[in-house]
Amino acid sequence: MKFDSIFQKKISRKEFLKLLCSGASLLVTESIIAKAALALPADSTGRIKKNIKTAYDLVAASGSDPYQLTLKAIQAIGGMEHFVKPNSTVLIKPNIAWDRTPEQAANTNPDVIAALIDLCFQAGAKRVNIFDNCCNDAKRCYDNSGIQKIAKEHKANIFFPSPWNVCQAKFAYQSPMENWPVFREALECDTFINVPIMKHHRLTGLTLSMKNLMGICSGSRGNIHTDIGLKLADLTNFINPDLTVIDAYRVLLRNGPVGGNLEDVQLTQKLIVGTEPVLTDAYAAKLMGYDPMSIPYIASAINRDLGNADLDQANILDLTV
Amino acid sequence: MKFKKLVLIRGFSQIIFFLGFGYILWTTTYPLTSPLPSDLFFKTNPLLMIISSLSERIVLTGIIYSLILLLLSMIIGRYFCGWVCPLGSFMDFANWLNKKKFVAPDKTNRKVRKFKYLILLIIFCFAIFKVQISWLFDPIVIFGRFVSLNLIPAITLIIDNSFIRLLKASNLSLRLFDLYRDLQQSILGVKISFFAHSWITLLDILLIILAAFYIPRLWCRTICPLGGLYALAAKCSPLKRVVTKCIACGKCNTRCRMGAIKKDFSYLKSECILCMDCVYDCPTQETFFHFNALRLKPQAKTPEIKSGISRREFLIMTLTSSLSLLAIKKSSSQDFLDSRHPYIIRPPAALKEDTFLNRCIRCGNCMKVCPTNGLQPVIVACGARGVWSPQLIADIGYCEYNCTLCSQVCPTGAIKKIPLAKKQTLKLGIAKINRETCLPWAKNKECIGCEEHCPIPDKAIKIKEEIVDGKLLLRPEIDEKLCIGCGICQTKCPVRPIRAIKMVPEKSDRM
Repeated sequence: MKFDSIFQKKISRKEFLKLLCSGASLLVTESIIAKAALALPADSTGRIKKNIKTAYDLVAASGSDPYQLTLKAIQAIGGMEHFVKPNSTVLIKPNIAWDRTPEQAANTNPDVIAALIDLCFQAGAKRVNIFDNCCNDAKRCYDNSGIQKIAKEHKANIFFPSPWNVCQAKFAYQSPMENWPVFREALECDTFINVPIMKHHRLTGLTLSMKNLMGICSGSRGNIHTDIGLKLADLTNFINPDLTVIDAYRVLLRNGPVGGNLEDVQLTQKLIVGTEPVLTDAYAAKLMGYDPMSIPYIASAINRDLGNADLDQANILDLTV
Repeated sequence: MKFKKLVLIRGFSQIIFFLGFGYILWTTTYPLTSPLPSDLFFKTNPLLMIISSLSERIVLTGIIYSLILLLLSMIIGRYFCGWVCPLGSFMDFANWLNKKKFVAPDKTNRKVRKFKYLILLIIFCFAIFKVQISWLFDPIVIFGRFVSLNLIPAITLIIDNSFIRLLKASNLSLRLFDLYRDLQQSILGVKISFFAHSWITLLDILLIILAAFYIPRLWCRTICPLGGLYALAAKCSPLKRVVTKCIACGKCNTRCRMGAIKKDFSYLKSECILCMDCVYDCPTQETFFHFNALRLKPQAKTPEIKSGISRREFLIMTLTSSLSLLAIKKSSSQDFLDSRHPYIIRPPAALKEDTFLNRCIRCGNCMKVCPTNGLQPVIVACGARGVWSPQLIADIGYCEYNCTLCSQVCPTGAIKKIPLAKKQTLKLGIAKINRETCLPWAKNKECIGCEEHCPIPDKAIKIKEEIVDGKLLLRPEIDEKLCIGCGICQTKCPVRPIRAIKMVPEKSDRM
């Protein structure tokens, strides 16, 4: 058959209609089959709280080298082996939301991430995933934050989240976050390590670990800002991060969460590690001179008994590296 | 089958340039690390460069490269059309699919080929009166727009969707997912761009290709003003076609894709695109292209035919184009231009509207490269002179604070190349808050997502603290001094369908 014979062949009206109908029905059946066969589990009730017992509830470390600071702080709380089991999948969720350099302190310090990746692999992790849902152009954020480079150097798996690969959040109680699309990778991991950077945020006062969880949400995230305290408390209760590492090495004091002025950045050289997100956030808020109850999401979590933030009862270690 | 060496080389060159063109536009994206400059094909285009320079009475940087190509044409003829032009290659491919060859009579050929000179003349006349319209029919621009606005988005969409299908079918196989993510980080990109009105470009190309399917290179023969310019240059080229032994079989003349060979076997140098078909079609194998034609003792006569256009036709053309120009020129003073379309937000560091419209060749590079997809083509919003020029639609995407890519890829400097620090202070416009719909203002709800996203280090959106019903409420206000109109607040505003914060091109800094 010649290639162009298709253009020269004459067909009757009846044949043409037949062709048209068969083509259309083929497409319809294909889409129905695809929909049925390709359906992935779409609902999730979240991650189960593990209540890992460690030597301390919280470790506040200070020191001049962020990499060593992280290593020592994790060691002090009991070692990464408590959190990461051999052959498991770990998700490290840093803040890579902005197209800013590490010095501008809008994104998590890449050295902290590097130390955590190394610790996870030493503990026997099979795979370390890293991602964030960026506010600026994703490629620019990943590049300029320095996190993509360091993650690749340390053999972690850094990627851009796919908006089609989400689960709908389901709650046992009435929640404004009901049915919110959450990236599947955040739910299907053995260990969730939340690594926010502490910085100023006008609406909530401070961006801490619970606020950092917004990065695992897809959908119209602008709407999370109404009743933000309630929503973030529910989200934290839904994800239940196993380990929270708050990077306070450089702290953006004003004009957060984007920043840009180097004068607004304070070199605090601190790192706060905890197993209980609400407690860790409360400690960090207090460290910055905020009343924890003035941060809406901490207040909401405490008021609804979704977390414990009793700093007086907690077993806290102050560490200098 | 004969071994058609020259035709093979020509085909190879066409494929190389076609793929090169696609590669350059594909890599016209963040982070612009391709070794080939993204404006290569536009910078080396004599029509665009000469007309833009003429209409503004300046000498564009890089015009020299396009002049070299034109000079080369004076030596070897319209090699560009036959060997380089990606649109021409596409047309050749379309016609190759059709085995029925169309042969137009000499009279028709003569009539239609004049048309491209008319278009070229009109473009020149407009340029003399300081209006640049070379983008209207330039083949490189049309094809570039097609590749940037249609082809690449379509290809990335198809690849992306296939991957999603495969991933779902394989129950999210980890290896496939890793491959997909690696591709996203390297060549595929995270975002699939979409461009408003891009179907018009698609229609353009479809018409051109469909025409070429039936009549080979119809566009090149009749309309292409770049081809016309090269044709004029080719008239003085010493490279000529000579036939040393002719048996009047008529093969060359019926198969010439440009209709350059006449019934009497003489040929038009200005129409010949050196496709080299006639060299191998000739049964006597006595057809050559040679720089010193007379030495070969040609048998078929190559008389100096009066080609192109007559004096009378030239005068009529000049008159008509000048008249049409007067009509348009009258309505394009600067004030009028600015006041007539107040909603157009141009890319950062765009020239003043009148100069911008002259300098912009509508290649689509800035829209292709924009990382947020916010730069979109204008069709009707700013009059006939503004068709296909770029505008920022902040509902779709905003101007990235640390990005100057659009100015880096602009071939003519319609978007001026400026350092990043300067760009970060340039106003595209100003954001305005609609207090009737803004959540904290109208519904007393928490939001201030606009303030959160504002990239200005000192925040161009200030917060007004008010106590409403015993509750502290944070309400956004614009500091017009600080606001540069990047539009991220509009992009991220959760209010639908009409955003509560919108950009207006007020107080915009034009270069």
